[in-house]
Amino acid sequence: MSETLAKTEEVVKKAKALGADEVIAKTTFGRYRQTRFSNNQIDISVAWNDYATDVVLAWKKRVVATLIRNFQNVDDSVKRLFKLAKVSKENPQYGGFAKGKFHYQKGKADKTLENLESPAEYVFEAIEAAKKEAGPATNTGGVLLTRLEDVYLVSSEGPKGEDRRSSIELSIRAFSQKDASGHGVECSSTIKEFDPARAGRKAGEIARLAKNPKAGVEGRYDVIFDPLLAGHLVDMWGSMTSAYNVMIQQSIFVNKLGQKVASDIVTLRDTPAPYSIGNRVLDDEGVPVKENVLISKGVLKTYLHNTSTAKIFKTETTGNAGIIMPSPWSLEMDAGNMKKDKMFREVKRGLYLTNTWYTRFQNYAAGDFSTIPRDGMFLIEKGEIKQSWKDIRLSDNALKMLNNIVGISKERQQVHWWGFDWGLPAVSPYVLMKDVHITRPK
Amino acid sequence: MDRDIADFTLNYAMGKKVDYAEVRAHRGEHQELVMKNGVLDAYVSMVDSGFCVRVLAEGGIGFASTNKWTKEEAKMIVDIAYKFAKMAKRKDKIAFAEEKSVKTDWRVPQKEKIEDVSPETRIETLMEVDKTLISRGINVAARMFGFGTSLTEKYFVNTEGSVISSYIPRIGFSGFITVVESGKPEQASKQFGYAGGWEALDQWKLTEQMTHEAKVLQRVIKEGKAVRPEKMDLVCGSEVTGIAAHESCGHPMEADRILGREMSQAGRSFIYPKGPFWLGTRIGNSIVTIVDDPTVKNSYGYYEYDDEGIKARRRYLYKNGVINEFLHNRETAAKLGTRSNGASRAVSYDREAIVRMANTFVQPGNMIEEEIFEDVKQGVYMKSFTEWNIDDKRFNQRYVGREAYWIEKGELKHPIARPVIETTTKIFWSAVDAVSKKVGYEAASCGKGDPMQGVPVYTGGPLIRLREVYVK
Repeated sequence: MSETLAKTEEVVKKAKALGADEVIAKTTFGRYRQTRFSNNQIDISVAWNDYATDVVLAWKKRVVATLIRNFQNVDDSVKRLFKLAKVSKENPQYGGFAKGKFHYQKGKADKTLENLESPAEYVFEAIEAAKKEAGPATNTGGVLLTRLEDVYLVSSEGPKGEDRRSSIELSIRAFSQKDASGHGVECSSTIKEFDPARAGRKAGEIARLAKNPKAGVEGRYDVIFDPLLAGHLVDMWGSMTSAYNVMIQQSIFVNKLGQKVASDIVTLRDTPAPYSIGNRVLDDEGVPVKENVLISKGVLKTYLHNTSTAKIFKTETTGNAGIIMPSPWSLEMDAGNMKKDKMFREVKRGLYLTNTWYTRFQNYAAGDFSTIPRDGMFLIEKGEIKQSWKDIRLSDNALKMLNNIVGISKERQQVHWWGFDWGLPAVSPYVLMKDVHITRPK
Repeated sequence: MDRDIADFTLNYAMGKKVDYAEVRAHRGEHQELVMKNGVLDAYVSMVDSGFCVRVLAEGGIGFASTNKWTKEEAKMIVDIAYKFAKMAKRKDKIAFAEEKSVKTDWRVPQKEKIEDVSPETRIETLMEVDKTLISRGINVAARMFGFGTSLTEKYFVNTEGSVISSYIPRIGFSGFITVVESGKPEQASKQFGYAGGWEALDQWKLTEQMTHEAKVLQRVIKEGKAVRPEKMDLVCGSEVTGIAAHESCGHPMEADRILGREMSQAGRSFIYPKGPFWLGTRIGNSIVTIVDDPTVKNSYGYYEYDDEGIKARRRYLYKNGVINEFLHNRETAAKLGTRSNGASRAVSYDREAIVRMANTFVQPGNMIEEEIFEDVKQGVYMKSFTEWNIDDKRFNQRYVGREAYWIEKGELKHPIARPVIETTTKIFWSAVDAVSKKVGYEAASCGKGDPMQGVPVYTGGPLIRLREVYVK
């Protein structure tokens, strides 16, 4: 057993010795490195080292939690926490922590990401690729982030395990003009699969096409969503399957288990696979993670659970704890049967939207929301991009949109960037949706 | 917090060829309660502390942080930050605007100390809100409350001789409720925040406020009518005025955004060098003045010195309808040939301080509230909002009413269900023709930065009247 796992176990033993009914301690040693750039130059490079142990304990169904930094003052921290439990309030919905001994896959972290020799080179590679596509005057900005986490989890209920998680992400936005931009991302769990120029090329290509945009026109359109924007929607839909979000009605899926919630061609999964930047082998109760099919051929199959929410819904944990809130880890929309080029040819008059941000709801339960497309947004006529647009808003309903998906591409991409409001990575295809409501300021 | 380690870190950095270095240490005691549908899901109590170093060398910036309070770790983060700064290899070198060094110690006073409030009292306070809310005969089908306090101690030193200590207690509450009537849901979220002690609760009147929100939603479901889309007068309550001030004045006036430093995340600004809008350009009616002011006592965004050690002061962003002063840190001030106005904030020791708002609000006018309404023949009073957003240039925005009423011949009539204004910054502020005397504030968490840094702010303003704007 590693020294850190032993220290983590010691925290659990101390809490148990004080009288706690159930205890989980999770130690994370995180090394994060980030390079931010704008105007084609590096603004700042940042390093964070974080040593933290999350401790959660239950006593007579009272759930309390704390954070211990670098194993400092463990005794005091645990005593204080137990004291807090004694004066806290019973949570009748607390269903206990997961029980049992589990076998975990070995985390496949890429250790080389801890201290890359020249992270700036990846940034410059992406910038040059964007300039090559959109011209030497192209102005770019973005961020390169590497993440390496060693995780040690011990539960008084049996689970004990280690995880190694790694990721590298590059996000680049290229401006060919003040009002004409494109955004590209590159996400990988290892350096081997990582190609920063690919993100730069995508950003540059869209920025070039986006030149001289015209004011968009209100109406209802068939819309092709780029994987980056489709990923944002997948992020939104997937997060709404968390049982917690269902219980507080921040979800369009309340009381819809087993019902048709999407077009027949839609299958949505949570897949914390090794290739994902959301990779992991265990959840926060120490349950091995697994693939969960959330929506299968349009039918809502499950909510995502920890042990407590699973008991409320009379089912089993899905391996998605969050002690308080279960959460997806890495979402995927299954590939469709349409090649991207064919998808474009299918559109007689419609739009191609490449990115969005600032998604806000009037009403999560009803699904009414709007979001603001940014970067390239294009009018398509007879399958071809005819015009670059600007200043439009997508104002629609999240449930209706799921049902209006009429095409899904074979091509998919892993996507994630700062603007994902729910923060999760997604593997997403190009998505063709009918009857999407577009508005603009008056 | 070990100040000796922080001082050691700075001294070690001074041994490198740095143009500037600073060390910022934080220690925070946090307590957070999460309650869902009347059940206390968890009570979180934690102490967090750590320190960072920021280095300017060879025209580049490096930053590193740790929560290990050892000299070895201190050396390690300085070495990394120094290496990172040199790695930038910038063509145009970063410089910081010159500022005086400061030695001071500031603290936010508390009338009722948060430290003395027991966990039982905190729990009971939250339970009481929930209990009252569900006892008023309204079907509040879902409730989600977060209630937290933080006691933050900071220690800042830099190579120019500044030594600043501070202590700031904050308290915050957020509520999200769903009311269902006849199978139809409506939702509201509400946030409260305060810098100071437990006396905040007396001001907030949480139970009354959340009950009011539930009643509003019930009435909207039962009596709310859609508005016929057309041009009309619109009266904005302080909550709507405040969000508009924050989104379409505060954000576009952040100099880092104007200079492009946030271009790939929060975006740029409709204001940019050699563009159609710049200092001196008219953006609204001359009765509109919007300020950002960290020095409003007990405000959620209160501070006396920013996280670069610069004295806080009121900033006049739009003054009499004209673009007047950007929000600056030392880096942006140097680029635009001016001085910092103390807008640099970091949410934690492990985050870079960047240009941020504090409390952004429209300054009061000279009308009483009745006068604002009495001159409206037909229009909408949008007292509060639900959905809102704005494009990344901060020009194309939309606000959807939560509590809203039809105005006819100066009188409030029936509720309007989710009226929408979708407009531009220029149209919005140019249409304002009346401003009331009384300013109201709302607490919010403003998101910016990568990684995201949600900083506490107030948004606010008086009632404002917009003439002939398109409402749908």
